[in-house]
This record gives sequence, C-alpha cells and structure tokens, in this order.
Amino acid sequence: MKTYPVEIAGVRRELPVVQVGDGVAVALLNLLGDPELTEAAAAAMAERLPQGAEVLVTPEVKAVPLAHALSVRTGLPYVVARKTVKPYMIRPVTREVVSITTGKPQLLVLDGADVERIRGKNVVIVDDVVSTGSTLKGLRELIESVGGRVVGVLAVFTEGSPRDDVTALGHLPLFQPEE
Amino acid sequence: MTTLETYPITVGNVTRHVPLVETLPGMRIPLVEFLGDTELVEEAARLLKERLPEETELLFSLECSSVPLVHRLAQLSELPYVTARKRRRAYMEDPLIQEVPSLTLGASDTLWLDRRWAERIMNQKVALVMDVVSSGGTMKALERLAHRAGGQVIGRLAVFQQGKRQFNGELVYLYEIPIL
Repeated sequence: MKTYPVEIAGVRRELPVVQVGDGVAVALLNLLGDPELTEAAAAAMAERLPQGAEVLVTPEVKAVPLAHALSVRTGLPYVVARKTVKPYMIRPVTREVVSITTGKPQLLVLDGADVERIRGKNVVIVDDVVSTGSTLKGLRELIESVGGRVVGVLAVFTEGSPRDDVTALGHLPLFQPEE
Repeated sequence: MTTLETYPITVGNVTRHVPLVETLPGMRIPLVEFLGDTELVEEAARLLKERLPEETELLFSLECSSVPLVHRLAQLSELPYVTARKRRRAYMEDPLIQEVPSLTLGASDTLWLDRRWAERIMNQKVALVMDVVSSGGTMKALERLAHRAGGQVIGRLAVFQQGKRQFNGELVYLYEIPIL
C-alpha cells in the first residue's frame, strides 16, 4: 500500500494513500485512535491560537479528540457542530454545504444550547484537514449566522491548494489513484 | 418537546444541571452530553481509568459522543484505541459491518469498522468504553464487532448506566442515571 510520510510537531506517521473519488486519492489522516499525534498537534496549535479567542468550534467527528485536547491546553470551551439533527436538540440551527469532492450535500448543525455559547464570542474553527474548504465555508456561515465572530481557523493540514485563511501545521498534496 | 426542567448529574467533582428530555411520551431522561464538556470528560476519564482491567491492551469505542472520553482514557492509560464509525466512509476497505438493535427512538444504527482498524483489534485484550449505556444494545453490538475482529473482550466500561439495568453482561459503570 502506498503511504505518504508526514511529521507533525516531531511525531512521524506514514499516512495511507486512499482513493476517495473518481480520479483523486488522499493521504488519510486519522486522529481517531492516535492520542500521541492528537496531543502533539494540539500542543503546536495552542501556540498558534489567535489573540482574543474565546471558544473553539469543530465539526464532528475526526477532529473531536483534537478539539478536546486543545480545550484542555488552552482552557477554552469547545462546541461540536454535528452532521445530523438529533431528536433531543433544542432549537437547532442548520446549514447545508455541498462537498466538492463527493458532490453530496452535508448538513452542519448547532444545538440551541451551543448557539448560546457562540453568540457574541470570538470563535476559532478547529479541524483536522481543510481541503476544498466547503465544510469550512459552511461552518463559518453557520457561526456568523448565530452571532459569532470567526477570528481564526486552525487545522493540522491544508490539502490540495495552499490557503492563506487557515493556520495549518502542514500541507498535504492530492494524489492520482493507483491502477 | 419541552426541556426547561433540569436534573443534577455528578461525576467525581463535577456537577452539571442537564436538561430533562422526553424521549417517549411519559418517559423523561436527563440528557448527559460529553461532547464539548472538557471538564466532565477529564473527570470521567480519570475515574474510569481506575476501573480498567489491568491486563487491557486496547480500548474500543464508537463515534461520536464517547470520542473525547476514549481519547483521554487512552492517553491516561497509555493504551491504543479504536473507534467504530456510524457511517461508511469512502476510504474504508473491506469494512466489518454490525447492526445495532437500538431502542433509542426506535432508530437502528449500523457500526462500520475499517479493515485496517479491525486488524489492530486482532488478538488483543479489549475493553469496551462508552459514555452512557441504557438498554445495552450498542454495547452488545460493539462486543460482537470486537469478537469478529479477533479481539478478546475482557471489560465493558461506561460512565453512566441509564435506567434499570437490562444489560446481560458484566458492565462496570460509575453512576446510575434515572428514567423519570
């Protein structure tokens, strides 16, 4: 299996290169199940936290351990944007984004209680990989629609095209699928 | 559903007044939320670590609300962990698929485990970790999945057991929460 070597804050990994769609393969970062890498990334991100940050927002699910670890290190609370409306949610706020890679619509959801934790606050978005930016764009709009101010975006990697609106610890190229 | 009433939930030194939600007519449960509650997760992980079987080699859990908990427990106990997913991902290869007969709102779930992760479970002594167990259906499905991946389940841990105990397995839990 083809792999791609990365180093994050001194921790090395060989990421498997996997096909995710027609004609495109990605180096697969999986923080779920990798506490060492998660903690190293969180430590490096904590040093890059924008001034005045008050709350972290992260999409479920792969970046959740990262958000938790960053919350422990910075003392800032975090909110998870869910991908489905749960029956127990109180006045949820939703936004639909279309993934450019899969073409499928993706829902982003904030529970009403979490809206109150974001409104009027300086928000930092935390994600594992920012690729096309469709999730990022949806999150940004969702946060701003409930009165939060996005003051920064922290990611472990940007992927594909470099971006200047994301503070990342590294960059991943896209790959051609193997035959 | 109206959810103005709250119910006090305590884990170690952390108390939360959580909303009481009516999941079925006439049945209300305190809604515990670990996602986004750093302090609660830290306390629960610290206490669960003391209940973890000594010979445990790997922790096995599922997305999403148990993820911060199992991450922190893995870190504290210096053990690896694996998380089953609730949706198929494009990158999964030859995944193990396990149905969950869930009682929660009559909806059933499916657990997905990528073969690459299943291989980590093989021949390991596995402790299952969840935030809340109610009927035990999800815990059973997780156990079945661990067995199918070649793991030996030696422990089942939860922070909360919700309602009267229905789960016919050995479950270690920290606290009970009522169904009102």
